[in-house]
Amino acid sequence: MSFLRLLSRIWDAITSLTRPPNPATLFRRADLYRQEGRFEEAADLVAQGLRLSPNNGVGHLLSAYLHLAFRQIGPAKSEFQSVLRLDPYHPRALLGLAKIALEERDIAACRPFLDKALQYYPDFPEARALQEMVSGWSVVAAGPGQAPAYAGPPLQLERLKPPAGGREFVLTQADGTLVFAQHGDKDAEDLAAHVTQVFRIASATLQRAGLGALRRGIVQAAAETSFFRSNDRLILSLSFPHDVKIGFGILETDKLWTNSLRELGVRA
Amino acid sequence: MSPELSTPARSARAREFRRILADMLRIDRVRGGLVVAADGLVIAASLPRGIAAEPLAALAATLGRELEVGADRLKRTPFQAALFSADNGTIFLGSSPVGFVVVLGDKEVNVGLVQWALRKALASLEGAWGSAQVHVPASPDDM
Repeated sequence: MSFLRLLSRIWDAITSLTRPPNPATLFRRADLYRQEGRFEEAADLVAQGLRLSPNNGVGHLLSAYLHLAFRQIGPAKSEFQSVLRLDPYHPRALLGLAKIALEERDIAACRPFLDKALQYYPDFPEARALQEMVSGWSVVAAGPGQAPAYAGPPLQLERLKPPAGGREFVLTQADGTLVFAQHGDKDAEDLAAHVTQVFRIASATLQRAGLGALRRGIVQAAAETSFFRSNDRLILSLSFPHDVKIGFGILETDKLWTNSLRELGVRA
Repeated sequence: MSPELSTPARSARAREFRRILADMLRIDRVRGGLVVAADGLVIAASLPRGIAAEPLAALAATLGRELEVGADRLKRTPFQAALFSADNGTIFLGSSPVGFVVVLGDKEVNVGLVQWALRKALASLEGAWGSAQVHVPASPDDM
């Protein structure tokens, strides 16, 4: 490097300390911080940038991403909408709103966002992956009292008793139809909707990773551990207190799964 | 065209993510992994050839968010870790302040060992963020 070029870089570095940064610089730095997982610092820079340039699409998009990273869904939605007011076909904003609609289990709202994003950017892998996932969903999480009714063979409920310590036992069809719940109330419908949604998204993720169809799942939380069993048509979920031994939980879930299939006349 | 692809991260935190991923990849039968933000941004990735990071990250983040949001709706405690098994392997998913740690294992993977290593990784991330500590059992057998 020549001496003059070195001198020029030093001068630039010194003057950059005294010169106020422009919005583009702030957003570029914010995006780098965001990619490094430094969300708080990125959010500060985005807020500074948007104060200087309130109608900047990049700024609103970054702000939306950061709200999502902080799990602040309402503000994220509002920021994505701000981006679309500036550019109605912005693919990343459309994808962001599609993801939020998925979280809200509003498939009717989700699909058009993905379709629109892919209409203008057909080679958009994330949007394509989500579109392929939701395209096979017939019904998604109906509201309370609107869940599709189970129309299969009657069940002998005494044969579907969860083991000691087992709770929140629920059996659903892959389309979200509640087949059986330990407690038949609105909570059971909510639980069935959640179990169905987890099954669908986990299945798509496993398929995308080339691992095949979902057979079993375990979800560990601070106060409970939930076990899943499934085939292409049925999903079973059973929870235990968090200190349950995993082997015991798997064994008891398998027993209940076998009994459930037998009751429904389904071959394992 | 693919709009706005991410560029590699370079900070200390980024190094920590890559270290965590490298530790997971050292486990026998682990085929790959990702660190993905809750918005689906790929922060670090190492995946087998033929598996694209961005679509897998989008789905994994959606799954992680459903587990978080579902727990909240059902008034359950927040999810910490999950695994989903198929005929040819298992996906492990851990929740952290930065987003989700995703590990892919083949069908012979030692599930208990990966769960334990994932807990350790999550505890390390929680420590880096200064948030509540994840309990890590002394050994995989205590999982």
